Amino acid sequence: MSAVAGMTRAEAERAGARNVRRRRWRVVLRHAALIAWVAVIMFPIYWMIATSFKEKHEWVAWPPHWIPHDPTIKNYSQIFAFDVQESGVAREATEQPFNVWGPLVDSLLICTLSALVALLLGTFLAYSISRFNVGGRHFRHAILMIRMVPPIVIAIPLLMYYAIMIPLATETVLGTRILLFDTRLGVSAIYIATTLPFVIWMMLTFIEEVPYTLEHAARMMGAGRMYTLRRVVLPLVASGMVVTFLFVFILNWAEFLLALTLTHPDVVTLPVLLNKFQSASEGRLFGPQAAIGTLITIPVVILGVLIQKHLIKGFSFGTIRK
Amino acid sequence: MAQIVLKEVVKRFGPHVAVKGVNLQVRDGEFLIMVGPSGCGKTTTLNMISGLERPTSGEIVIGGQMVNDLEPGERGLGMVFQDLALFPHLTVYENIAFGLRVKKVPEAELDRRVRAAAEAMHIAPLLAKRPAQCSGGESQRVALARTIVTNPSVFLMDEPLSSLDAKLRVDMRTELKRLHERLKSTFVYVTHDQAEAMTMADRIVVMSRGVVEQIGGPLDIYRKPATQFVAGFFGTPTMNFLSGEIEARDGGLAFASQSLREPLGDALPADLAGRRIVLGVRSEHVEVGRGKTPGRVQLIEPLGNESLVFFEFGGDAPLVAKVDAETRLRPGDNLTFGFNPAGYHVFDAQSGARLN
Ligand SMILES: Nc1ncnc2c1ncn2[C@@H]1O[C@H](COP(=O)(O)OP(=O)(O)OP(=O)(O)O)[C@@H](O)[C@H]1O
Ligand SMILES: [Mg+2]
Repeated sequence: MSAVAGMTRAEAERAGARNVRRRRWRVVLRHAALIAWVAVIMFPIYWMIATSFKEKHEWVAWPPHWIPHDPTIKNYSQIFAFDVQESGVAREATEQPFNVWGPLVDSLLICTLSALVALLLGTFLAYSISRFNVGGRHFRHAILMIRMVPPIVIAIPLLMYYAIMIPLATETVLGTRILLFDTRLGVSAIYIATTLPFVIWMMLTFIEEVPYTLEHAARMMGAGRMYTLRRVVLPLVASGMVVTFLFVFILNWAEFLLALTLTHPDVVTLPVLLNKFQSASEGRLFGPQAAIGTLITIPVVILGVLIQKHLIKGFSFGTIRK
Repeated sequence: MAQIVLKEVVKRFGPHVAVKGVNLQVRDGEFLIMVGPSGCGKTTTLNMISGLERPTSGEIVIGGQMVNDLEPGERGLGMVFQDLALFPHLTVYENIAFGLRVKKVPEAELDRRVRAAAEAMHIAPLLAKRPAQCSGGESQRVALARTIVTNPSVFLMDEPLSSLDAKLRVDMRTELKRLHERLKSTFVYVTHDQAEAMTMADRIVVMSRGVVEQIGGPLDIYRKPATQFVAGFFGTPTMNFLSGEIEARDGGLAFASQSLREPLGDALPADLAGRRIVLGVRSEHVEVGRGKTPGRVQLIEPLGNESLVFFEFGGDAPLVAKVDAETRLRPGDNLTFGFNPAGYHVFDAQSGARLN
C-alpha cells in the first residue's frame, strides 16, 4: 500500500499541484542564483571590453560610465600601430611603445612551440608509464606533485640558473654560451617543464583507455612498437591530444610570473606586456590595457569552446566498445 | 609443418604461479581445445604459444624450432582475441588489410587477398564500415577474416565466441569447424564452455589451477574422466558425486555410505578395500523405478525430449536422474532408484584421481 492510500482524489490532486509548485520555485531560485553568479563573474570582463572602447577621459570617470559615451577604436589602433615612432596616438599617450605585434608573435611562438614539445614528450612518457610501468607504481602521482610547488618559489632560483649558471656551464663545457634568459627558447623551456606533468596526467587517462589487446593484435600481425603506436595508439588518442594541446596552450598563454622574471627587455609575452601600461606622466593607460586584455581573452574563449567539444570525444572515443 | 610442443612450461606472475609445468603436443592440423574454469591459466598458456607472454621456464617449440625468444609476429601464427580487438578507427577493409600492410604486400595483391578473405567470411558488403557499425556476429567474422588473410599455419583463439548470444554462438561453432576443415591448419582454441569443447574439438586439454588434468578426445573425456574435477566439469547436468568408503563384501567390493550400500562389480583391484572414495554417476546412469533405494522428488526440470529429476534420498546432496519425458512424477512423490554399474566412476577422495 502506498503512502497516499486513504486520501481522496481531490486531496491527492492538491498534493500533486503543491509538489509541482514547490519544484517550480526551486528551479526559479536556482536559476536566479546562477544568473547572479554569472553577473558577478562576467561583469569585469564586460568592463574590460567596454573600457577598451572608451576615450581617455572616460577610463576613470566618476560616476562610472557603464557604457562608453562616445565609443572609439583609438585604443586598438594604438596597440596595433605598425610604426610606433610616427604614430601620433602612441606619442600622445606615452613615450614608450606599447605595440602589441612583437609580444603577440612572442606569445604565439612560445606557447605553440612549448605546448607542441610538451605534448610530444608527454604522450610518449605517458605511454611508457602506462605500458611499461616506467618509474614504478606511484610515479604517476608523484608527477603531479611537482605542480604543488608554487612558481614564485622557483622563479628566483631559476633566474640565477638562466642568467648565470647555464651560460657559464655551457661556455666551459661546450665552448658556446647557451642563453636562456630573455630568449624565446628559455621561456619555452620552462613552460615545457612546468606543463609536462599536466600533459602526462591527461594523456595517461586517454592512453589507458586504449585496450592492450589492440596492441597485442597488431603485434601478432608482425607490427613493431613504433608502427603500432603510429597506426593504432596515436590515432585513437588524437582527440585527447588536441584537448591536451589546447589546455596547455591556454596555461602558457596566461602565464605571467615566470615570463616576467625570466625576460627583459627583448622577449615580452602578452601578460607581461599587459603589466607595462603605467606611465609616470599619465598614470595607468587603462584603455590600451583593456584592449590588450580583450585581445588575450579572445583565443582563450575560442579554445575553451573547442576543448569542450573535443573533451566529450576525447574521453569516450565514441568508437571503442568495452 | 606446424606441430606445437610445450615442455614443462611454467609462468609466474610475481609470487603467483599461473601455469605450473604444462606438457603438451599439438598435432599438425588438429583442432585442439583448452578448457577449464576461469583463472586456470588457459589464456596465459595460449599467450605463451603466441609470444605475447614469455614463459618463466620451459620450452615452446613450433614446427621443430624453439621459439621462446621469437617475437609474436615472427612465429607465423594468427590469433583471434576474446574481445576481438578490431581497430575501431579503421574500416573493416583496413582492419583485414592491417597484417598485409605490415608485411608491405603490394597494393594489387593486398586488395585481392582482402576481398578473398572477406568473401570467404561472407562480409564483403561490410568492407567500408567501421567495426562499431557491425553487429556482434559480423565483428566476429571480421576478426576471423583478419586472421585468415595472412595464411597462418596455426590459429590461436581465446574464447572468440564468448561475446555472442547463445544462438549465434552455436551457429559460429559449426562455421569454425567448417573453416578448420577447409583450411586444414592447426587450431588451438581456448574456452571455459565444456559444451563448446565437446562439439568442436578433435582433442581436449582440461586445465585446472595451472595444471593439465587430462588430454583426450571428447568422448574419452566424457566416458573416462581422469579426475573428479574433469568428471564434474564435463556433462550437463553435473555428475552426481557420493562420498563413502570401499567395503569388501561377499568376495567383491562395495560402495558404502551412511545411506547407501551398492556393489561395485569387479572393475576395481581388491586392495582398495577400506579406501575413502567419491563415487561418480552421471544422471543417465541413475535409474528411477529400477532399484530398491527409496527417495523423494524435489524438483523436475523438463528438457523436452527427457526430464531431469532431482530427488533426495538421505545423503548429503540430492541426486539427479535423467528420465523419459513421459514419466509422471511431481515434487513430493516417492520413488525408488538404483544405479547402472557400467556408469560408475570411482575417484580417490583425497587426490581426486580415477581408480577404476
Ligand atoms: N599479467 C598478469 N599479472 C598477474 N597475474 C596474472 C596476469 N595474467 C594472468 N594472471 C593470473 O594468472 C591466472 C591465470 O590467468 P589466465 O588469464 O590465464 O586465466 P584464464 O584461464 O584465461 O581465465 P578466464 O577463463 O577467466 O579467461 C589468474 O589467476 C590471473 O589472475
Ligand atoms: Mg582467459
